[in-house]
Amino acid sequence: MRQPTIGIVDYGVGNLASVWHALHDLQFRCRISSEPATLSASDLLLLPGVGAFPAAMAALHRTGLVDYLQSEARKGRPMIGICLGMQLLAESSTEQRPTPGLGLLPATVRALQAGAWHIGWNEIEPEREDPLFGSEWPHSVYFNHSYVVDAQPQHRVFIARAGEPITAVVRKDNVVGIQFHPEKSQSTGRKMLHRVVEGLLCD
Amino acid sequence: MIKKRLIGVVTVKNGWAVQSFGYGRYLPLGRPEVLIANLDRWGADEILLQCIDRSHTIQGPDLRLLDRVSRQGLATPLIYSGGLRHAADGVAAIKAGADRVCVDALLHDDLDAVMSICEPLGAQAVVASLPLSMTNDGIRWFDYRSRQSFPLATELARLLREGAISEAMIIDWRHEGSPGAFDLRLLALPALRGIPLIAFGGLSSEPLLREALQMPEVVGVAQGNFLSYREHAVQAVKQLLHGLPLRAAHFESSAP
Repeated sequence: MRQPTIGIVDYGVGNLASVWHALHDLQFRCRISSEPATLSASDLLLLPGVGAFPAAMAALHRTGLVDYLQSEARKGRPMIGICLGMQLLAESSTEQRPTPGLGLLPATVRALQAGAWHIGWNEIEPEREDPLFGSEWPHSVYFNHSYVVDAQPQHRVFIARAGEPITAVVRKDNVVGIQFHPEKSQSTGRKMLHRVVEGLLCD
Repeated sequence: MIKKRLIGVVTVKNGWAVQSFGYGRYLPLGRPEVLIANLDRWGADEILLQCIDRSHTIQGPDLRLLDRVSRQGLATPLIYSGGLRHAADGVAAIKAGADRVCVDALLHDDLDAVMSICEPLGAQAVVASLPLSMTNDGIRWFDYRSRQSFPLATELARLLREGAISEAMIIDWRHEGSPGAFDLRLLALPALRGIPLIAFGGLSSEPLLREALQMPEVVGVAQGNFLSYREHAVQAVKQLLHGLPLRAAHFESSAP
């Protein structure tokens, strides 16, 4: 059986090595690239996290990836965004300054209430059943953000609680956003990442 | 709710992991990659890799070490500290395998450069390292390169209060490596009120750790030398701290 390939989108500020090694350890082939031609040879596209929204969107525009990612998502190519990568999937963000996003999820990004941080390990709770995530999920996962995605309730799969309910996982068809870092949430986080990638590839 | 963190610290000097005592005496421990792999396996909540000679010698971040560490496929969040000079260094460290970066010397030299690191990475990815001490003249901020202490810069305190940097690691540098010697007064300074704090330096005994973690501003405690002495030390410490809002202790061969 052919080993699936994951295209890790290099938008200039992501934690590329962390994501690459996590996926490699999960037995996936990975390509890191900002070239549509290279990314098109993969089965699933992944936008990694770490960074600020405006700089990341500017990098995506600079490399001509905005149109490409929008077009691929609309064609049904599986896509996962992690942390900042999830936020980039939204319509817009107010981080640093108002900035339009990729618009692949009907959602917006805003600061956590009272300028709070959400850094460290927190529990997640299911909002709705989704076979992609199975019936077992990691109880404690690693978050590192201060901006949150306001997603429509029907798309929210998991939430976390930090003074307010925070969208932890969101899904709309072939597009999945994960606010925490499954690649850095130790073995349970990686199990979840494995299941989501496999599930999207089988859908 | 979000848990407080137990952070394992690996200090590197001249490419070797060392035990550090009071920012002045060092004993070799071995290869940093091995110590980091242990902390990863034992389920630390975060790992701080601090290369203490990179700024002193203006070498920039140790990207080759980060690459070697990253190749191990760490499943634990990694904070990198050492030699960061500007935004490009911060971005390179994250690309090479760090999940967050920590700045120390640059806070003394160029706050604009610190802010330039926050611009592409986001403030959540940047930690300020503040070696402090209490003296008769009040609080003093140590620059390890000149080995001189200064009053804490008001501009830095303002940036921290405004959230331009996400967390401050308060290091009791005089007591670093001395068991049970951390000066808790450093965590209750009016200038740092409301800022998320990580405590480091001489935090080993259960009562001291417990007291630090019960302080509202403290979001984590960091340990270096004290985690190097026995197998599964991270989880043993967590077991001692039962009842505090930390991720539960696990005794597994791989991280939970």
